[in-house]
Amino acid sequence: MISFKNVNKWYGELHVLNSIDLEVAHGEVVVVCGPSGSGKSTLIRCINRLEPIQQGELIVDGMKVHDKKSNMTKIRAEIGFVFQSFNLYPHMTALENVTIAPIKVRKINKEEAEKLGKETLIRVGLGDRINHHPAQLSGGQQQRVAIARGLGMRPKIMLFDEPTSALDPEMINEVLDVMRDLAKEGMTMMVVTHEMGFAREVASRVVFMDEGKIIEVAPPNDFFTNPQTERGKAFLQSILTH
Amino acid sequence: MWGFYFNELIRSLPFFLKGLYMTVAVAGLSLVFGTIIGFIAGIIRAGRNKPGRLIVGAWVDLIRGTPFLVQIFVIFFILPGIGIELEAFPAAVIALTNLTASFICEIVASGIIAVPKGQREAATASGLSYYQQLRFIVLPQAIRSILPPLVGQYVLLVKDSSVVSAIGVVDITRVGWLTVQRIPEGLMVFGLVGLLYFAICYPLINLSGFLERRMTVASTKL
Repeated sequence: MISFKNVNKWYGELHVLNSIDLEVAHGEVVVVCGPSGSGKSTLIRCINRLEPIQQGELIVDGMKVHDKKSNMTKIRAEIGFVFQSFNLYPHMTALENVTIAPIKVRKINKEEAEKLGKETLIRVGLGDRINHHPAQLSGGQQQRVAIARGLGMRPKIMLFDEPTSALDPEMINEVLDVMRDLAKEGMTMMVVTHEMGFAREVASRVVFMDEGKIIEVAPPNDFFTNPQTERGKAFLQSILTH
Repeated sequence: MWGFYFNELIRSLPFFLKGLYMTVAVAGLSLVFGTIIGFIAGIIRAGRNKPGRLIVGAWVDLIRGTPFLVQIFVIFFILPGIGIELEAFPAAVIALTNLTASFICEIVASGIIAVPKGQREAATASGLSYYQQLRFIVLPQAIRSILPPLVGQYVLLVKDSSVVSAIGVVDITRVGWLTVQRIPEGLMVFGLVGLLYFAICYPLINLSGFLERRMTVASTKL
């Protein structure tokens, strides 16, 4: 579904992605973790070309993402993206946030889009907040609207960039619950997160990154109980004792 | 003597109203054209096309860095030298449109740039094209920060329009100059001139203040 082949990216001198090779299969949930600055956000932002790459090949659902000839609108329509800071459109209601892309990009008519949008908002537990503006919602609710917005295009893949890092602790679970449900329904997901409980429970594999490299890829149980590298051990030590 | 001149001034009121009409016509047309051109230029200035950004930037710097009186002389006296002959009225509208557009360009560009980057990223991620992002996501948010200074710019436009009297457009200021030759009470005559400008500008000043307060409330609510 997602395939990285020797992907390299630099910010000036800084080698932010270093020879990345990774295959994500249909229906897999891959959690990406690592210390800050390790390149994990950059990794998933490359998948829908929010960031360019300088070398290598990235294929999503059979389409080359970083090929000038590729139809990016089509590729992006297949990928839902959830940001750390929600990035909801403040001048639109929850429903409008969810329906704008289906209406403008997929060219679905408005009634149909609103029907689907409502269903999606109900699915994330916000059936009673359809006409609220983002400022009238709590952080957890806003992030759930953002997930609904990502789902609004009926994507094949959902990407999450630290979806709970900006939330108060009591709101983290409502967002993780929605993500758990998605995973159970078989959505292909890549999730950058520090929520190790979530990773242990939901992930098919954990990718551990440091300094732009993938250091370890392992099923969550193996990674958490028996990391193969010193850096993996040190990272787990640091997040478990904080 | 003062009473006599005052009566004379009252008798000249229709002349002043003609001047007022001319000021409103010059400023009004420049406002409409200047706003349209200023928005387009501002969108280019805040856009992703580098040559476009540079050209618009150079134009803005040039217009902001030269006196308006000089600009209007260039258009009215120097362009005929290269074969472009203009009447005073269109020359005035062109000069004032050009000036206003350059200021509005900067207001619009900074309004667009002030919209958080994450908004564009979210829209990009959902597949919206550059122009769809601008139309549905960026401009509706930018307009909140654009509107109050925009109306403020209209106040400056009305006042700057007095410069067009220098090329013979009979606006309020020109009417003042002509009248003071008959009624040598400068304070009285230009007092009236000032009053007429104020009558146009004061509602605009209030509108700008009102928008400022409303937009602040709206942005805290959102």
